[in-house]
Amino acid sequence: MDIDALGACLTTPACVVTQTTSGLIVGMLLFLVAAGVTLIFGVLKIVNFAHGTFYMLGGYVAYTALGATDSYALAVLSGALSMALFGVVFERALISRVYGSNVLMQLLVCYAVVLIFDDLVKIVWGPEFHAMGMPPAFQVPPLFIAGGVVPPFYAVLIGIAGLIAIVLGLGLSMTRLGKTVRAAAINPQMVSVLGVNTTLLFAIVFAVGGGLAGLAGALAAPVRSLSPGMGFSVLIESFIVTVIGGMGSITGALVSALLIGLVRGFGTIGFPQFTDGLIYVVMIAILLLRPQGLFGRST
Amino acid sequence: MKVGPALRDVAIAVFALIVVLAIPLLHRSPAFEDFVIRLSAMALFATSLNLLVGNTGMVSFGHGMFYGFGAYAFALMMQMTDVSLPIAAVLAVLITTFAALCVGAICVRLGTDYFAFITLAVQMLFYSIIISWQSLTGGDQGLRGGIPRREIFGFELASQLHLYQFCAVVTVLGLLTLRHISVSPFGQTLRMIRDNEHRASFLGIVLWRARLFAFTVAGAFAGLGGVLAALFVSGAYPELADWPNSGQAIFAVMLGGISSFLGPVLGATILLALNDVVTRFTEYHGLVLGSVILAFALGFRRGVLDFIRLAWPGRLR
Amino acid sequence: MKLEIRNLTKAFGGLRAIDDVSLAFSSGSLSAIIGPNGAGKSTFFNLICGAFPADAGQVLLDDQDIIRLSKTERMRLGIGRAFQVASCFPTMTVAENLMAAVTAHVGQWSSISRRFPPPGIRERAGEVMELVGLTHVANVEAAILSHGDQKLLDIAIALALEPKVLLLDEPTAGMGPEERWRMIERVRALWGQRKLTLVFIEHDMDIVFQVASTIRVLCYGRVLAEGTPDEIRNNRAVIDSYLGTEVHAA
Repeated sequence: MDIDALGACLTTPACVVTQTTSGLIVGMLLFLVAAGVTLIFGVLKIVNFAHGTFYMLGGYVAYTALGATDSYALAVLSGALSMALFGVVFERALISRVYGSNVLMQLLVCYAVVLIFDDLVKIVWGPEFHAMGMPPAFQVPPLFIAGGVVPPFYAVLIGIAGLIAIVLGLGLSMTRLGKTVRAAAINPQMVSVLGVNTTLLFAIVFAVGGGLAGLAGALAAPVRSLSPGMGFSVLIESFIVTVIGGMGSITGALVSALLIGLVRGFGTIGFPQFTDGLIYVVMIAILLLRPQGLFGRST
Repeated sequence: MKVGPALRDVAIAVFALIVVLAIPLLHRSPAFEDFVIRLSAMALFATSLNLLVGNTGMVSFGHGMFYGFGAYAFALMMQMTDVSLPIAAVLAVLITTFAALCVGAICVRLGTDYFAFITLAVQMLFYSIIISWQSLTGGDQGLRGGIPRREIFGFELASQLHLYQFCAVVTVLGLLTLRHISVSPFGQTLRMIRDNEHRASFLGIVLWRARLFAFTVAGAFAGLGGVLAALFVSGAYPELADWPNSGQAIFAVMLGGISSFLGPVLGATILLALNDVVTRFTEYHGLVLGSVILAFALGFRRGVLDFIRLAWPGRLR
Repeated sequence: MKLEIRNLTKAFGGLRAIDDVSLAFSSGSLSAIIGPNGAGKSTFFNLICGAFPADAGQVLLDDQDIIRLSKTERMRLGIGRAFQVASCFPTMTVAENLMAAVTAHVGQWSSISRRFPPPGIRERAGEVMELVGLTHVANVEAAILSHGDQKLLDIAIALALEPKVLLLDEPTAGMGPEERWRMIERVRALWGQRKLTLVFIEHDMDIVFQVASTIRVLCYGRVLAEGTPDEIRNNRAVIDSYLGTEVHAA
């Protein structure tokens, strides 16, 4: 523990800017993954333990696509779209077979998918770490804000994720599909009574969830390394985000993802050995004070 | 001749114990003894998890935390204090029980909807504490240096045969106790909660108290399994408390069958054997294991013993 | 045991599901509650047995106010209930269902010192089974019982707790005409044998008018009328708002 360092950082604008930026990066990526988890849980009442796999595969697909096309934009797009497709296939081929059966079966199916794809990634891309490296377009001098270093890629990344958050929020509140999704989260029976095509709805939800996770993986690839099994820590953190924010709440996911991101950003200064643990402590504290999560409905 | 059901359970346990203890007297096989020792820890771990999953309908994805907790508590006590092995083992289980009580107090009140989430997250907290508290736990290297004073009532557990016998006795006694709990009125209460918690609450059953009690008991026996694991590996490693270990236990439970008491033991046996065989042929053992899990979850939809019970609907439990 | 309700009120959001309801059920009476869907009948039962708290009012059991007590405490004082959708333990046999209920009733649900069932429980469960006529299916799992037997089992579970006041939420729901009569005759027999104060919610007017000694009509959370079957049959307000032409034709 290093409280002095934390205090020193908090009084230095440069350090605050740097740590806030890195916290926002973590938070925004986390939001993209957690948004899918919370959507899927909200509509289907399924805890998708395989969501980290979408994130991992999105990263690897983008890595390969960048090598093939030399265009980072195409790489990101292919990561997101391929995972949207993968989400639908996953839902139709596997998860739809365990609807209504107990949680144990759903858990096992997801667990199996995690194990299988971690090994498939090893077979296709090898067990070693890969670094995508910064795309050429972003290999430019960093911005300086109040003395803090902000690489331009970070700014773009935060911008894209923020844009997605806005689109998702507007989509849920303005469009017909969004309203159906929110209604389903509150009362699943009502939606099927109202004549909504639930098969299509579920597939769309998995496509959106998978696509967002794939996008996050592709966006994260330049700043993090790729390795088999990388999805799991993201999965755990997105669970924490979902639980803190309140199951089924997109706003909650955004707020708590940023909260976790900032705890991480500044935690590395104050508690370098225990940054992971700090997040769990935050989660348990919030759950003790507000068991339904920050934005969850109490039942 | 009519034999009381309690007596029948004891008879089966004694018979099984005699068979297991007799095997090395007839034929020594280090590989087999090694397997049984690992199985004993896993069997306690999986059966205790099934008290939650099968009996109560609480799917915990963080049960490995108590397995790891028992292992670390025991190994640390043996390394850092002078207490004898039986006392350290009992204390380790007691401390684990208390830890399970504390964790359970948070988890069981938080609605069953995302019980799996919460337990997993608490397990990961515990795991990250193990990794980061290097001075105590040795971090990601684990607790090395072995376990000293490996003797109990004159038995030298450093010998594989003695460890085998010790593990067999402890496991059979542990399973018998769990069996007793699962067929007690309390075990029946857990089944009522699984079937229809709403109705159960109208019968005067305090749901959270029953769940917390089940969670604590399950944690205690997972801790006992952890003690055996620590004896086998001569220390404690973070992997014991990591999430794939919880996943393995869930799979063992499901593979053997959740509605039969011995299902998880059978599941653990199959899973360990499968792991041993698969790792001999391929390094991609997750791929094989995952495919087997998918086949079971989507194909059979139930474990082996449950399947047999369905095919021969006698009252086999 | 006498059950008396005074000024009971419960609102969900803006909707007053139960609005200042006062009713008395004398000891050993057999009463029906009728009313259109959404009249608040099930909510009324839920408030009496303490499934959720009331906003205002009193529930008196032999003049003791129990409104602040938990549902478990109310159950111990003698309020039992069965549910509209039969509520039992599907993977257990009929006998196990009842033994488990009796075990819970005698406060041994958390016992681990002996095997299930504890001594004497099997006999008591057997008596209840005999009483409701489920002995022939004692070893059948509840999940595969007929619909009518499941409803009976639900009532039997309530009876295992030795209630003084029994609330039955539509005991004949989902049954054919003949089965309904068999069910209600059985309920009436139970009422006589156990000297219960029995209140039931029912939609079949033929049953209500033949079986109940007093009838209460709930409408939009309020008491529209109460009285003997004859009084209710001829009550202008009840005919207008609920019975309609149905009774005139009968």
